[in-house]
Amino acid sequence: MTETEKLIKAKIPGEETGIEVKHSLCDICTPGLHCGIDVYVKDDTVLKVEGTPGYPGSGGKLCTKGASNRQYLYRKNRIKTPLRRIGERGEGKFEEISWDEAYKIIAERLNGIKKEFGPESVAWYTGYTKWFRPWLHRMAHSFGSLNYGTESSVCNTATVMAWQSIAGRQFRGDLPRNSDFFIGWGCNTMVNSYSQARGLFAFKERGGKVVIIDPRDTPTTQKIADIHLKLHPGTDGALAWGLAHLMIKNGWYDAEFVAEHVHGFEAYKEYAEKFTPEETERITGVSAAKLREVAQLYGQAKQASTYLPSASITHHVNGFNSMRAMISLQVITGNVDKAGGEVPMYTDLIYADCGFKTMQHDFIESRRPADCKPPIGTGKFPLWDVLVDEFHAMDLARQIEEGTPYPVKAVMAFGLNNRMFPEPDTILKALDRLDFLVATDIVMTEACRHADIVLPACTSMERSELKAYGGGFLNCTQQCIKPLYEAKSDAEILCDLSRYLDLGDTLMEKGYEETMKYIISNLSVSLEELRDSRLPLRMKEFAPHKPGELREKGFETPTGKLELWSELIASVGEGRTDLHPLPIWSEGFDAASEEEFPMTLIAGARIPNALHSRLHEVPWLRSLRRIPSVDLHPEDAARLEVKEGDRVTLASASGEIEVGVHITAAGLPGDVYMYHGYEEADVSRLIPKDHLDPYTGFPGYNQVRCKVKKVGVK
Amino acid sequence: MKQVMFELDSEKCISCGACAVACMDQNDIDPEVQVPFRHVHTLETVENGNVFYTNISMACMHCTDAPCVQACPKGCLSKDPATGLTVYDNTGCIGCHSCVMACPFGAPTFSAAGKMMKCDGCMTRREHGMEPACVRVCPFDALKLVEVEDASENKWDKVMKRLRQTGSGK
Repeated sequence: MTETEKLIKAKIPGEETGIEVKHSLCDICTPGLHCGIDVYVKDDTVLKVEGTPGYPGSGGKLCTKGASNRQYLYRKNRIKTPLRRIGERGEGKFEEISWDEAYKIIAERLNGIKKEFGPESVAWYTGYTKWFRPWLHRMAHSFGSLNYGTESSVCNTATVMAWQSIAGRQFRGDLPRNSDFFIGWGCNTMVNSYSQARGLFAFKERGGKVVIIDPRDTPTTQKIADIHLKLHPGTDGALAWGLAHLMIKNGWYDAEFVAEHVHGFEAYKEYAEKFTPEETERITGVSAAKLREVAQLYGQAKQASTYLPSASITHHVNGFNSMRAMISLQVITGNVDKAGGEVPMYTDLIYADCGFKTMQHDFIESRRPADCKPPIGTGKFPLWDVLVDEFHAMDLARQIEEGTPYPVKAVMAFGLNNRMFPEPDTILKALDRLDFLVATDIVMTEACRHADIVLPACTSMERSELKAYGGGFLNCTQQCIKPLYEAKSDAEILCDLSRYLDLGDTLMEKGYEETMKYIISNLSVSLEELRDSRLPLRMKEFAPHKPGELREKGFETPTGKLELWSELIASVGEGRTDLHPLPIWSEGFDAASEEEFPMTLIAGARIPNALHSRLHEVPWLRSLRRIPSVDLHPEDAARLEVKEGDRVTLASASGEIEVGVHITAAGLPGDVYMYHGYEEADVSRLIPKDHLDPYTGFPGYNQVRCKVKKVGVK
Repeated sequence: MKQVMFELDSEKCISCGACAVACMDQNDIDPEVQVPFRHVHTLETVENGNVFYTNISMACMHCTDAPCVQACPKGCLSKDPATGLTVYDNTGCIGCHSCVMACPFGAPTFSAAGKMMKCDGCMTRREHGMEPACVRVCPFDALKLVEVEDASENKWDKVMKRLRQTGSGK
């Protein structure tokens, strides 16, 4: 081996090796993170990735998932060209066609359906991730439809809605810079967000106290928590009420703040009365003594901040009320709109609370159509209707099947994943009834196999994109390599398609680069400057809102106060017995019989090497946990006479899968944990399709009655 | 260069596997055809109803008195005098597996072509001022390559103590 060969093998960048380092971001998980990556490229091929040193948030590190970006990019099942279906729906028989042919077919079909059934009969849908959503949203508008819908029908929106119902807008924990107390509800940050976990370690070094609420022992409960409340799944709301009871009874709350800024305290106080420590212990399994300890620490903290997750709590059918009950504790302790407590969020570019404005709002709103039929699902979740500018994906299958109140004939989809939907066969069956389905994706998926036209999208390393971060930062990533095969970026596909659809959207028709320029046209920075910088640049326009402003001006609620009793819910919930202005407590189980299904299934609790279904086919990650397995408590394993690696069937009232066994005492006896998104063992089959939170429409993935049986035993 | 060793802070490690994946990315390992160099494990113990995890990330331990060096009939393995790392040149490797049989940790692995490969502490990267890939990625700085004189024995001691408890079923 020559010296140069040795250097190339070790992937040392430089002139001698011809290896260049380009700057992109990891788009595998949430836009709340999107860690910076250095991409090592030679001859238009990615050789490896590393975290970008000094990057906002990530600081040069990566998680398990992010470290796999190269293999994620070069997955074997990448879609290579546009495809036209020649077999039956679901069969997976396609012929390759050109982009021009694909666009012509799509434009002809969509415009035809629009002419016959109206623009709202075409639904524009996107799954994960979220980077091109402004383009899709504008496209739906330009087409003349409000039927823009996303995977946010099951992610994060419920948390935002809970905040909106109480405070008029979302707040976030100012964690944990200025606090002395931190409470993480359903928080396993060491696995899900290392950057936040690093912040918590630093917080603890400064003497901060950390309480974690989780039904499992996790790395976070073990290595960060000072106190871990290991409650029964789905009882977070009752636990919050139990804390409220003690805080009110002992005066561990901010009476002055409540008198000045809070609406509905009397009703709240009255409802809290029944959640005595003993009653709370009965419901949650958390000892009265531990409850008292936490209530006092929390109530007497100078500043308390929280972690309120985007999924784990709200993936219960009582999750919205649990979330409200958790937020209510921050209200009564006077920690809302306060440095070190909860600070208001003013989200802009792709959900980033970045502290400056872009033209995103105008980009979407300037094309909003007038006199449209209301979005799919309207009326089903009335609070969603008034708070969320998207159709609700959990009602899509019904409306396609029933055609009421109006028909949906086509879906133009990006990253549509049937495994996200409870009883996923239901959405597939509905999609098969459409006149026309387009599925855009990076890899061939089950949903793609049901489409009439399939379009190949690309990963973050194959495109350039705008990305904003907290603290006033903006990035425009470098395209590291040309897209593989004939793939294009989702936003580019939308811009191309706008020309073929002939919608008169002159900006989109100019192409993706011009739309990006428009989005930052109010800022004193150019795309070139952003792309030339190794790190995101801090905008001159950075002007963050100061906490406390809303206390002075009044909160953006009907009463101008923080509403423990939500007047918004009181008005939209009129005539609905399942919607209550107070975050009242109820059980979160499905309707199945406890006798037949004595165990509790928690579907989707995170593991380090997976994210939904997108990483199951990445061999580096799959090698860390090869077999889809259910986590069983040793006591349950003994009773069922199964050992590590055995096969079991996991069944609920709606379905059954066969999986491997992993024995761990992390959870409580009787609770079983199963990760989602496996094609060969899709746990969403076990989630009943009507098991939805009435406020938000979020499925109760995390609490379903189930049973486990050893394979081969009757 | 001074004598170096890998150090793991088991208090910070969560066995997330980022190190194992970064190692596979650096060394072009396909886990479907070759055993990776680095592995993570979570060992669980239950004491008085409380659960404890011991988290481990392991690759070649770069033993001072490395049995693999003695075992190889072709002399492929050696101790790097400058760093103390166990390094190799597999040009002469005949794929006899003597090294892995001698290794108490089963660290050496074999490529699809049957040639021995293993962790060399990312020698070439280090010569160019870069950390080993596994260390570079670790989100909690739990895994480090440290100079032997700076190493705190106490970190491995903690891991070993927990391992002994796990092993004895306590």
